[in-house]
Amino acid sequence: MSASATDDSLASLAAREARGGRLSTAGFLIGPATVFVTIGLLVPILILFRYSLNDFKPGLLMVDALTIKQYVLFFTDPYFLAAFWRTLRVAIMVTAICLVVAFPLAYKLARTQSRYKNVLIMLVVLPLFVGNAVRAAGWMTAFGNKGFVNVSLQWLGLIDEPIRIMYTEFAVVVGIVAVNLPYVVLTLQSVIEGIDRVVEEAAFSLGADPLTMARRVLWPLALPGFAAGAIFCFILTMNAYATPVLLGGPQFVMMGPLVYVQFAVKSNWPFGAAVSFVLMTATLLLTAAANLMVLRRYRN
Amino acid sequence: MNTLASIDRRILGRWAFSGAAGLTLGFILLPLFFVTWLAFFRQEIPAFPPDGYSLKWFWAIAKHDKFVQGFWLSLQVAIAAMVIGLALGVPAALCLARYRFFGREPLSSLLLLPLVVPGIVLGTSIYVFHVELTIATELPVIGSLAGLVAGHVLVVIPWCVRLVAASLAGVDRSVEEAAQSLGATPPVTFFRITLPTIRPGIVAAALFGFVVSFGNLEMTLFLVGVGRTTLPIAILQYLEWRIDPTIAAVSVLQILLIGAAMAVTDRFVKLSRVV
Repeated sequence: MSASATDDSLASLAAREARGGRLSTAGFLIGPATVFVTIGLLVPILILFRYSLNDFKPGLLMVDALTIKQYVLFFTDPYFLAAFWRTLRVAIMVTAICLVVAFPLAYKLARTQSRYKNVLIMLVVLPLFVGNAVRAAGWMTAFGNKGFVNVSLQWLGLIDEPIRIMYTEFAVVVGIVAVNLPYVVLTLQSVIEGIDRVVEEAAFSLGADPLTMARRVLWPLALPGFAAGAIFCFILTMNAYATPVLLGGPQFVMMGPLVYVQFAVKSNWPFGAAVSFVLMTATLLLTAAANLMVLRRYRN
Repeated sequence: MNTLASIDRRILGRWAFSGAAGLTLGFILLPLFFVTWLAFFRQEIPAFPPDGYSLKWFWAIAKHDKFVQGFWLSLQVAIAAMVIGLALGVPAALCLARYRFFGREPLSSLLLLPLVVPGIVLGTSIYVFHVELTIATELPVIGSLAGLVAGHVLVVIPWCVRLVAASLAGVDRSVEEAAQSLGATPPVTFFRITLPTIRPGIVAAALFGFVVSFGNLEMTLFLVGVGRTTLPIAILQYLEWRIDPTIAAVSVLQILLIGAAMAVTDRFVKLSRVV
């Protein structure tokens, strides 16, 4: 009996040792990446936050301080506030348009049996990888005074003089919608693919027409996917840089370009850091709110 | 009669739906189409309709040092970031997929964080970090190549972790257990069983890492030093000044390069399964 007790304790000791060994292996595997991201991202964000509490004196640049002056400046200055609301407005418009426009393509991609499905997916992914500046170049070709759109409209006799499309909100919204669509399409597609075709057919066989089916069956099931796509799209628009700079021009200031100008052109690090923080907080808060709203509805 | 009408309506609805899907796909591809069209214009001004067509702008690219140097720098940085990102990300994914331990969820969120933090915020924070590092160590960290690569590794890691972890989730563990019960040590099991089965995931991670780094613009804006530009930044700075067939030709080359990288990857792993 005592022998078996020793065996037991030996076995448990061995098990504990094995567990300890497994844990140290786990630490060895994940440790380097964790250290890298902590030092490379968390520490910098903390330093950025500290910078945003510093003071700025023209000529002296950054002065050590502990003040919320930069944040107050941002939220009281009409120019900066206008940039903030403009960014928010564009983000909401772009997200709404993207969701509506992405759905048919996402559904077709999810349900197609075609052997060209892979090619279609590649066509959606390619623009995403090609980068924002190149795609903005495409719109610049189309939107100029002698660009494709103006020349076509004049040829059709719809307008006499070229209309201004470049450097307008319209151009920026079109550009960002095109930039974000692949993300939204792919997010929706993967969610729809996860919904069993059978539930759709069940709805049809019970007499539902496609619209009813979409509203009563597909929509509730795909809601989390729509939310994920909307959040992704919203974050991307809030932080857009190349598209507003190239299609909106210097007058159409959005948050991303604003941060860059404060850092690189004005060398105002404290204010740039504060704007950067406002941008990050606004993005994270709004996405968290959207997440909560969807989750609550989903649970009911 | 009535049923016929309703069938007609249903067919019409289906056509309209497919049409809408096609329009969206066309809209996504439209800017690439326009920029490609412009690259073949004979005249320099982007006015429609073109006077004629020419290939001369493609030969002219070689004379623009900024694009050539930017291309090489982007290539070097993307390859370095991809390799280091894989070296850090694949073991981390292995750990997250195979071990259950306290703090696993927060750790996983931490490793995916660079994907959520906006590129502009990423760039500014890393920039001020470099400023502090330079002050503390008196090494020239600001605008250095090492700093640039480190920033890119940061955006590559989440893709590696995500894609490799996803492909590990699909691996049947009983095969690994069978190998171990037949006497294979854990390293042997990993290299002979696990690694070959997750190869598609690793290839996808390598491609995504490469492409994400090669195309990164927002974060990179803050990390490039004096006289050092990556290709996307060179393209952006040129476009802020003007749009002409030269920049369109550069864009076409980038489209071709990325398209080729995707086609190669597609031979290893179906893109529709990893995106």
